[in-house]
Amino acid sequence: MKKRIFALFLAALMILSLASCGKKEESEDIVLRMAWWGSQTRHDRTVQVIEMYEKEHPNVKIEYEFYSFDDYFTKLKTLVASDQVWDVFQLGGNFPEYMDKIYFLNEFIKSGVVDTKNISDAYLKITQDTDGNQIGLSNGLNTYGIAYDVDMFKAAGVPLPTDTWTWDDYADAARKIKAATGHFGSSGFTSSEFIAGCSTYIGQQGALGENGFFNLELTGMGFKDAQMLAPYIQMRADLIKEGASPDAGAEMEITNIENDFLVTGEAGMTWVAVNQFPTIYDICAKEGRTLALATLPRVSKDGNSGSVIQSSQMLCVSKDSEHKQAAAEFISWFQNSTECNDVLQGERGIPINDNVRKSLTANATPGQQVMYDYVSLVGTFKTPDKINVLSPSGQDQVVDLYRNYIQQVAKGEITAAEAADLTYKAAEAIFK
Amino acid sequence: MNKFKKFIYNDNTVGYVFALPFIFGFLCFSLVPMVTSLYYSFTDYSLGTKSASFVGLSNFARLFTDDIFIKSLGITLKYVLISVPLKLAFALFVAFLLTRKSKAVTLYRSLYYIPSLVGGSIAVALVWKQIFARKGLINSVLDGFGLSAINWFGDEKLALFPLILMSVWQFGSSMIIFAAGLKEIPTSYYEAAMIDGAGGWKKFLKITLPCLSPIILYNLIMQTISAFMAFTQAFVITQGGPNNGTMMYALYVYNQAFKYNNMGYACSMSWVMLVVMSIITLVIFKSSKFWVFSEADS
Repeated sequence: MKKRIFALFLAALMILSLASCGKKEESEDIVLRMAWWGSQTRHDRTVQVIEMYEKEHPNVKIEYEFYSFDDYFTKLKTLVASDQVWDVFQLGGNFPEYMDKIYFLNEFIKSGVVDTKNISDAYLKITQDTDGNQIGLSNGLNTYGIAYDVDMFKAAGVPLPTDTWTWDDYADAARKIKAATGHFGSSGFTSSEFIAGCSTYIGQQGALGENGFFNLELTGMGFKDAQMLAPYIQMRADLIKEGASPDAGAEMEITNIENDFLVTGEAGMTWVAVNQFPTIYDICAKEGRTLALATLPRVSKDGNSGSVIQSSQMLCVSKDSEHKQAAAEFISWFQNSTECNDVLQGERGIPINDNVRKSLTANATPGQQVMYDYVSLVGTFKTPDKINVLSPSGQDQVVDLYRNYIQQVAKGEITAAEAADLTYKAAEAIFK
Repeated sequence: MNKFKKFIYNDNTVGYVFALPFIFGFLCFSLVPMVTSLYYSFTDYSLGTKSASFVGLSNFARLFTDDIFIKSLGITLKYVLISVPLKLAFALFVAFLLTRKSKAVTLYRSLYYIPSLVGGSIAVALVWKQIFARKGLINSVLDGFGLSAINWFGDEKLALFPLILMSVWQFGSSMIIFAAGLKEIPTSYYEAAMIDGAGGWKKFLKITLPCLSPIILYNLIMQTISAFMAFTQAFVITQGGPNNGTMMYALYVYNQAFKYNNMGYACSMSWVMLVVMSIITLVIFKSSKFWVFSEADS
């Protein structure tokens, strides 16, 4: 009996020492955890560049995860709570909520770990906080627009959108497309709609920079009269009621931009963040359809555009990371390497590194060219000096409620005026 | 050494050792989270910011002013009231069909059990979403018969029914239990009834149902509890829409906890759910003495 116990003890000792051996090896190798959200195209390309990086840096292993937008943030919130945020993670305009977890890049830029030689100050600034801390490096410039099917417009006899078309023109086009083709006039890629539609609609009213959905400091509302929302809500509800825009059931069938109704040929228009445009352009081109980009419609022809060029998303280093420097090195490579960006193809937005941008624009595909032209066009629009493109914590709930109110207006349960009041109240409540 | 042996072979020790995995799991993964959630239900805890300050009963007070909460409670009750009886009836029916003496019975039982195995899975929910989509299987069939397509997930009044149907379709586990129960009923009862001239229907009502009633009670309680916790279907297929028409209780708890960053509020909702479920289970138990037949009594 005693012998057996001794043997067991020895075996246990051996296993323990083996395990510690394994650990030693790991500490020389660096394992970085990284995550992002996006479409299939982004997943494929990002995985490809991660493999490139691992080949160049044999001691670095990157464990990656990818999600759809909503699921990404659900996962991130649980990781925040357990202090296990990925070493390298992607954030958009909703970063203020995660400020506690972001490790600023300041020191890495100073020490040269993160190379910003070819990135102009203006582009660095778009991902700095008000104190000048570098929160992350922007993956690209971006703005919102409406992607449309040129042939469907022609089939319906609707004039193609101009740079100054209005929401009335938009609704009119949607109705005519529905009448002529039986398809939806405008699809509902809803992750973009709240910002591209509802929020922009507020910014378009009044003098330049007078109104915004939230105020510049993200401490309260940026407009006073809730009824400023009402016409827009009324229009959205009417289009849904008339079948010119998908109802809640149909909207559920859209899971990402690649199966939006515009892409499947069941709608004439949809909302896009323009970095998504080349992907869907290519898909449709394969089927012989041509997509184009229109500016966001305006409240009045000569009014504010409400559009603004912003950072699409950025890569950040997390405070939970044990390898912050290695994470920063990866981000630097991701932003600055032309080989890497030749694979990524600006799918996250127009790159901020001058060399990378030049190399990409020189070999632009037709879809990308449309995007580049569009972003330069929007760049010529007048924008206020200060503008808020960030989302406060709690916006998700407001957006869900807002969508629901639109459905209720479409069903005739409440009026658009009531929906506007309710939305305003819901948004106000997140600051209390 | 002898003492050790005595200890290790003691019946109580053996019992505890075998129960250890459960005890460990229960303590770590049920009891601790439950106590934590009870604490959080009195705070404004949120995952994103990690701050938790005591707010007393205000979370519970807020529940009664929350329209979506009240709506979700109603919808979940409706879901339970329709889906559980349907599922049990269907499971019993299939179990009854499968008690015949035939070699294929085992195969059929396994076949019907499979949907339960993959039960709450995402894959099945996705398939269901496709079947009831605007251009899905059901609407194609309707179209084939010259009927107009039904907008299942676009109509608040209809959207819950595909979800109910999906739960009914997952009748396998109840069916297996019913089948086992049916086998336990002595055939002599049926023979005696046949001699007395009872028909098939009468035999079912007077012999099968009473003899099976303890098992019906078990299934009823288990299925009621799991129906209250239904989440996957609503999360994957409808995300609670349209107009919160399929906002199941568990889904709303999830949304508040993880999407809207109101973990404290979500915890208080879970506790209300626990109370509601306990009351309903208790009512079922109390009512059982009127309809559950046990051989010891007779």
